[in-house]
Amino acid sequence: MSILKVRNISKQFKNLEVLKGIDLEVEKGEVIAIIGPSGSGKSTLLRCLIRLETIDRGSIEVDGKPMVTEGSDGRSVYASEQDIRILRRKMGMVFQNFNLFPHKSVLENIIEAPIIVNGLSREKAESIADQLLQKVGLTDKRHNYPCELSGGQQQRVAIASALAMNPDIMLFDEPTSALDPELTGEVLRVIKTLAEAHMTMLVVTPDMGFAKEVANRVIFMDNGVIIEQGTPEDVFERTQHPRTKAFLGQILRS
Amino acid sequence: MELDYILNSTIALLKGFKVTYGLFFSTLIFSLPLGLLIALARISRYKVLQVFTGTYIWLLRGTPLLLQVFFVYFGLPALGITLNNMTAAILAFALNYAAYFAEIFRSGIQSISKGQYESADVLGLTYAQTMRRIIIPQMVKRVLPPVSNEVITLVKDTALVFGIGLLDVLRTAQIIVTRDFDITAFIIAAIFYLLNTAVLTFVFRKLEQRYSYYTI
Repeated sequence: MSILKVRNISKQFKNLEVLKGIDLEVEKGEVIAIIGPSGSGKSTLLRCLIRLETIDRGSIEVDGKPMVTEGSDGRSVYASEQDIRILRRKMGMVFQNFNLFPHKSVLENIIEAPIIVNGLSREKAESIADQLLQKVGLTDKRHNYPCELSGGQQQRVAIASALAMNPDIMLFDEPTSALDPELTGEVLRVIKTLAEAHMTMLVVTPDMGFAKEVANRVIFMDNGVIIEQGTPEDVFERTQHPRTKAFLGQILRS
Repeated sequence: MELDYILNSTIALLKGFKVTYGLFFSTLIFSLPLGLLIALARISRYKVLQVFTGTYIWLLRGTPLLLQVFFVYFGLPALGITLNNMTAAILAFALNYAAYFAEIFRSGIQSISKGQYESADVLGLTYAQTMRRIIIPQMVKRVLPPVSNEVITLVKDTALVFGIGLLDVLRTAQIIVTRDFDITAFIIAAIFYLLNTAVLTFVFRKLEQRYSYYTI
């Protein structure tokens, strides 16, 4: 059974249609790289999955349970707040701008949600946090504040914070786009580790090398629709669609 | 002699402390929390709250504090509510300063990036938890400078209450000056206010330092 089932979703911002009928099915353990030009709707797709935005049409199902269904008039109907809350907990999101809590230390950032939302004791939360800090290689930064860390380090803390809530699906919205090139490696390494541990992930990224290396499916989006998708070899080497070819050509040129 | 007179005048002025500081601390104790509540209501998604608090802020910032003090002290009895002058002063001051603090707090809250809300949201925090643990703590750091302005102004605004017969430091000085035909008491009063401002400035600088452990 798919862990994510997205059927024909559309979304409009004022007069701009950003998603124009997207269908997507994600299996457990899949690592999907979403590529495409800016404005294609990649980030919006992710944000709709985790209900940071709402869709106008279509349906989304998470782990077999409906988050939003298609009403009789075609418009989307969302489940109750409680049900949505349960489904959102299955997902974790990492943002382009990290969005760490600046007034809290690295450790405090990671244990915040487990304690406040899940009701864990401080000891339990700290032990989980320490395990995760080891996983992302930041044990010695436990008591530092985000402003004392490099971008790459902050992003790794953000990943640890998301993982602390034990999600089934991890969403990454351009995780390395705000980083200096030298720092992207450390973040991508962490994501790769997660992929090897079979975490289901959707990664919006402009990094084709990363997509080739880590993803088992690549989706090319342009103008609110999925133009082409397949294995990295399918999309990068045996490119079918002219728009995909044009986009990849542009990327390679730069 | 000259020094004796200064000393005696200063001791006389100390009597005014009760009113000045009583009003100062009482106003802060009530207006700071009230201001925060109004700010939160001002940015809430309920249009009714937005309009109500917007009107409140306009009314209380739009009329002189002294006029509001008069309304409370002289006007309320017409509605059957009679307050003694100190209570009336505290009520008027608290309501007035709450309006100013509300706008300061609102600007502090709104200057915090949306990403903070989204991050808290996807981690599962409720709106209340996000405000309490993530947003308001960050707001405090941002509003220290404008709040310090208001607090310093408050010390001096307390002088207005002579209008309803309260003997604060300035009124007491005025009585001495009028009685003795000597402005020494005014000079002492001025020094008193200056010292206050110096202490408050110091306190707020320490607070800002305390919050400098992280940058925006």
